[in-house]
Amino acid sequence: MTRRLATLIAPVVFLLALLYAWTLAADAKLVNPLWFPGPERSFAKLGEWIATGALWSPLASTVWRMLAGWLAACAVGIALGAAIASSPLARRLLQPSAEFLRPLPASALLPPAILVLGFSNAMIVSVVAFGCVWPVLLAAIHGFGALDARLVEVARLLNFTPWQRAWKFQLPSALPHIFAGMRVSIAIALIVTVASEMLSSQPGIGYLMLVAARAFRSTDIFAGIIVLGALGFLINYGTQRLEGRLLRWR
Amino acid sequence: MLEARGLSVSFGAQPVLRDIDLTVAEHEFVCVVGPSGCGKTTLLRALAGLTPISSGSALFKGRPVIAPQTELAVVFQDYARALLPWRTVAGNVALALEARNIPASDHAARIAPLLAKLGLSGDGDKFPSQLSGGMQQRLQIARCLAQEPEVLLMDEPFGSLDAITRQQLQDEVARLAKEEKRTVLFITHDLEEAIYLGDRVIALARVKGNLAGRIAEIVDIALPRPRQQLATREDPRFLQYRHRLFRHLE
Repeated sequence: MTRRLATLIAPVVFLLALLYAWTLAADAKLVNPLWFPGPERSFAKLGEWIATGALWSPLASTVWRMLAGWLAACAVGIALGAAIASSPLARRLLQPSAEFLRPLPASALLPPAILVLGFSNAMIVSVVAFGCVWPVLLAAIHGFGALDARLVEVARLLNFTPWQRAWKFQLPSALPHIFAGMRVSIAIALIVTVASEMLSSQPGIGYLMLVAARAFRSTDIFAGIIVLGALGFLINYGTQRLEGRLLRWR
Repeated sequence: MLEARGLSVSFGAQPVLRDIDLTVAEHEFVCVVGPSGCGKTTLLRALAGLTPISSGSALFKGRPVIAPQTELAVVFQDYARALLPWRTVAGNVALALEARNIPASDHAARIAPLLAKLGLSGDGDKFPSQLSGGMQQRLQIARCLAQEPEVLLMDEPFGSLDAITRQQLQDEVARLAKEEKRTVLFITHDLEEAIYLGDRVIALARVKGNLAGRIAEIVDIALPRPRQQLATREDPRFLQYRHRLFRHLE
């Protein structure tokens, strides 16, 4: 019991220590307080955003773009991965193009995306999806191809069709790999969303921070960082819970 | 019911089985015994439609077996690999019902008696990883029975179980085969197990020189049923069969 309590409290204590270190660093005024506010002022700004409701609209935009791009990437990645793993034709057809596109940084795609789709949500969602698709795709290729040979025979003995085999055998067997890929992707989604907002001036947390920087409103920047950190934390917690439920058998 | 006619199997240039002729009659329990590497498992796989035949034929009810069919169920030795780890005990049995397109609403009513028959009542919600080896093998047998096959092909099913569990399962399989009126082809490297279980024992041996397996001897086992672990194994006839067949295993 005391052990459990300790493991629960320890991370909180560490977080408080970090906040205290931040306070000390700010109070020491090594950097001009104009550029580097302490936690007190940053959290006060965050409280002000919540109180006035100024936070919700940009936060909703950012979360929406991030989730839409990520989910689209997951759907495309799983479907393509299943196809590539199951069909030599699909592999020969798709793999060279995939190897060409994969090393491209998602931000390099912003200029052409802006040209084609304009300054829009669709543009950001597409770029986020592009950045997110690779970890899921690679995990799905690996996972769908890694079905135990014995289970392949069980599927044959029960006369399942290729679709039934994919649904009843390969997808569940690939799911642990796919989840690992999806968790890598969600972090990429947050990064690409914020970067895209900054580069394309679309209202959201990223753009809010960029405007704050241009106007020397440093507390806004730090409040934005706190929001993004909390967002990342919550998403990771959510995917972990979902994973625990769906992979109960492990 | 199940027949091999001049059945030969080669892996590339390497002959594995040569000119196998055997017939398994309806409701008969036939054991195939032989030293490791004599092609016993290949014979079972060829009869199940899992391994292609080089010449001759495998027949089920007079029709050639070209691919696996649900009337022929296979119980593998490596039960842990043959079960779906992400499905519960009940879910693994349901797999065979899904293969037969039985509506999901009927599953529970069909699964419960099967689990009871194999001593798995109360374990329906567990995952395979939570079961002992013997229980996992019982589960695989339950799934094969849910297939309602006419023939059970068992490939050294008790080879990796401890001696006590093995004896229990021998008696249960013998009882189930008679109660459920199934035809059984049972592969084993354990001569005593073959004599104890079989109505007939087929000894397989390797042809000197080219290393292909062929039938060395077929013996009818005239031991009364139900057989008993102590009494049957001490029966003078049991020992005579053992003497007679033992030379093929050297």
